[in-house]
Amino acid sequence: MSDRQEQESRPTSGTESYTHRTKTERREPGGSPVKLELDGVSKRYGTATALDSVSLSVEEGEFFTLVGPSGCGKTTTLRCIAGFESPTDGTVRFDGESMDGVPPEARGVGVVFQNYALFPHMTVGENVAYGLRFADPPGDVSRDERVTELLELVDLAGFEDREPDSLSGGQQQRVALARALAPGPDLLLLDEPMSALDARLRERLRRQVKRIQSELGVTTVYVTHDQSEALAVSDRVAVLNRGRVEQVGTPREVYHRPKTRFVAEFVGENNVLDGVVTRSLTGRRGQLADVVESRLETEGVEVGVGDQTFVLDGVDGDVGEAITFCVRPEDLHLDAGENRIRGTVVETEFQGSATRIRFDWQGIELTVVVADDGNETVELGSELDVGFDADAAHVVE
Amino acid sequence: MSTIETLSEATKGPVRSAFHALEQRLLSVVAVLTAVVLVVLFYYPVATVFADAVLEDGAFTLEPLTAILTSEFYLVDIIWFTAKQAFYSTLASLALGLPAAWLFARFEFPGRETLRSLTILPFVMPSIMVAIGFVATFGRNGTLNRALSVVGLPPVELLFTLEAIVIAHAFYNAPLVARVVTAAWESVDARAVETARSLGANPRRAFRDVVLPQLLPAIGIGATLTFIFTFASFPIVLALGGFQLATIEVFVFAKVRDLAYAEAASLAVVETVISLGLTVVYLSYEANQRAAGGSANPLPRQTVIPTRWTPKATLRTVGIAAYALVVGLVFVVPIASMILASVTGADGGLTLEHYAFLAERQATGATFQVKPLPAIGNSLLFAAGTLLVAVPMGVTMAVLTTRRYRGRTLIDALAMAPFAVSGIVVGLGLLRGLVFGVDVFGTTIRVTGALAIVAAHSVSAYPFVTRNVAPLFSRLDDRLVESARSLGATRTRALLDVELPLVWTGVVAGAAFAVAISIGEFDSTIILAEGAGRYTMPVAVERLLGRRLGPATAMGCVLLAVTSVSFFVVDRFGGRWGEL
Repeated sequence: MSDRQEQESRPTSGTESYTHRTKTERREPGGSPVKLELDGVSKRYGTATALDSVSLSVEEGEFFTLVGPSGCGKTTTLRCIAGFESPTDGTVRFDGESMDGVPPEARGVGVVFQNYALFPHMTVGENVAYGLRFADPPGDVSRDERVTELLELVDLAGFEDREPDSLSGGQQQRVALARALAPGPDLLLLDEPMSALDARLRERLRRQVKRIQSELGVTTVYVTHDQSEALAVSDRVAVLNRGRVEQVGTPREVYHRPKTRFVAEFVGENNVLDGVVTRSLTGRRGQLADVVESRLETEGVEVGVGDQTFVLDGVDGDVGEAITFCVRPEDLHLDAGENRIRGTVVETEFQGSATRIRFDWQGIELTVVVADDGNETVELGSELDVGFDADAAHVVE
Repeated sequence: MSTIETLSEATKGPVRSAFHALEQRLLSVVAVLTAVVLVVLFYYPVATVFADAVLEDGAFTLEPLTAILTSEFYLVDIIWFTAKQAFYSTLASLALGLPAAWLFARFEFPGRETLRSLTILPFVMPSIMVAIGFVATFGRNGTLNRALSVVGLPPVELLFTLEAIVIAHAFYNAPLVARVVTAAWESVDARAVETARSLGANPRRAFRDVVLPQLLPAIGIGATLTFIFTFASFPIVLALGGFQLATIEVFVFAKVRDLAYAEAASLAVVETVISLGLTVVYLSYEANQRAAGGSANPLPRQTVIPTRWTPKATLRTVGIAAYALVVGLVFVVPIASMILASVTGADGGLTLEHYAFLAERQATGATFQVKPLPAIGNSLLFAAGTLLVAVPMGVTMAVLTTRRYRGRTLIDALAMAPFAVSGIVVGLGLLRGLVFGVDVFGTTIRVTGALAIVAAHSVSAYPFVTRNVAPLFSRLDDRLVESARSLGATRTRALLDVELPLVWTGVVAGAAFAVAISIGEFDSTIILAEGAGRYTMPVAVERLLGRRLGPATAMGCVLLAVTSVSFFVVDRFGGRWGEL
């Protein structure tokens, strides 16, 4: 595709009229009812358990992401929603209605797969029109108009007669998206749709998908193993591990307040430490802090890790209780912070705007990220004075 | 699409929803139908043969079986001879096929691709035609003896010897060995050899340690298949060995002609048990040794004519030339001899008298005599019938055998059993059962000879359809069907809209195979056509062969013309898959 074509294919008018109509059709006044609900869904293959009692609910219009390492059950979850697999136990509900025994073709879902799965014996236009063989296009348009509309939406206007083979990976993915959206699905399911693309293209396409999704307001379930992608696009995220839901929340909640050790380590980078409560500090900080701040009631504890003691704010705990907490690398500072440790540098990695330093402290490897000022280098084996504030730590299960 | 629409659809009336239910279950329906057809056309006939062997006037007896298994004549002259000729045939096929694999995999020469696709040819060649070719080559007045007399050598008598049978079997099975081994050789990753070399192995050592272990499974598969096929070989042995050198198959046939059904059935049971045993061994072996597809980085090819004539390179080129000569002798000369014999008169001059004989026979022959046109007509009719039955059966089996579900191995084995059971046994079973009449709830059900022949042909043809289509199905991404279904297509629609268009070439190739198999089928046809007047071209060839060679070769040429068309279609649409 030439640049000129690409520019020509981006008239906004068609997209907007489409968007407007869809939005008025879909959005119900006064809030977002639950669109999709998984109620104790389990899936077992023989003795292996792929999903272990997964319960989730996704609201109308939401961009909901299932994220986790490979084998965590995220794709199985998606396949149970689409109807390609039936749960061993539990129920999938659309609009409160059980989908038990409803075949995929009657569910009104649009699916986009990682490998696009375009029909190789059909043209781009025929691919997009395929779903319209079984349903009238939404709104008052003909099938051809609908195909044109969708191809414009994904910036591929005029590609109707091209063969899928002649398209780049990113273009194929956009055709797959247009095909999934053409019948006006109630639910859009995206199964690692970007994984086969290179990093730069992935980022661009991710933004485009997000834009289209919010324009159409179509409820979307997105599956990815890439936690940064999940944080970037989602309204809410469910972190899965070994077939179980570890945590559901907004990207910020999941990042800043991970519930479990797994979430803390999987989402972003984290320093996780195991310790024991040595002292309870109820009220101590309240006297010192500014009265206006909400810290008045703040509680805290002293936690011993090895021979070192840290002060953690906002944490409740009995003396002698085992406790696991985490501190983000960006919350660690050189030569600053209330809790100080000394470590030995074992690895440095220059990342442009910042430098990642891995250091050893009492046999534990920790990471600190420091802004790069352009000339200072940290030598391997040198001693490092690292600290973090008492309110930077977060306790996980 | 939405749930509301689904609801409204469901209320559109019982007719529509019944149709909808049928459509959703069409695949299961066709699968069940296929199973029924298999049971009626294959398992029931085979069971009939087994029952014939152990039932005498309704009473259970092991007498015929023990008579065979204790008779020195059967054990040594028939069963042992059958195994012996199969073993020699396997060795000959390996000897002839492995150099071809080496040439195809490691050399670049003009016509390599064409030659390689020609290795599919034996599969579509009617065995009786090949037998005629060998008679025309090695017979007393055959091409070989005439060539020998030209240079003043005494004639040799090769007909009705083990050698002739073994060479004819090599004609059939060496290409199979070559195909399977070439595919394995091409999938060897050159980087593996390079790694071995960099670790200190010389070329010979690298071949032994890296390449050979990857070829052995393929060689094993080729050898086992050859043994299974030649163990059950019938027309070749019948035409080239006569009843003096009889395999189990030929003897079963002889017994059927004598109307000694119990003895024939017992012998057939012994053969079937051995064949099935071999096939079970083969299938388990094949399952463990599935060769990967073509390597992204295959070994480099050399030229046949060396760039430098070192002693080693010269020797190799001379060897290749000698091999080419042998290939010419085994593969080209028999077919050429048949064509030549059909236009050669008793005086040695060119003549069309044999074709004229066929035409005259057509015009004036008595009803009991073999006429060419009914033979052609019957062959085409049965081929069309086979097409209609075998293609849907084969495609359904391909769908079933590429899905993952419990009990699939059993389905695989049951579906592929016709591969292992000879046409003689199926034919005998159909004859003794459905053709003679079966009592079901007081009514006698009887099928005509023609229907029985189509049934027998379909049973032997559909595995070839499955074999052609299944690899394409298994290469299809499951996501394609899932995409179609999420877009609103039922399972059946997805099959029609997405899967079938993508495996179409395999279906066409499989259909061509089915036609070729039907046209060339001899084993069960000759049993079922006996007395029914439903003779086909191969049967006509065999009957003419009993009298004079000339008209038989003329009929053989007609057969060759028809099968060549089938070959063309097979090669045009498929056949590049290494599976067969």
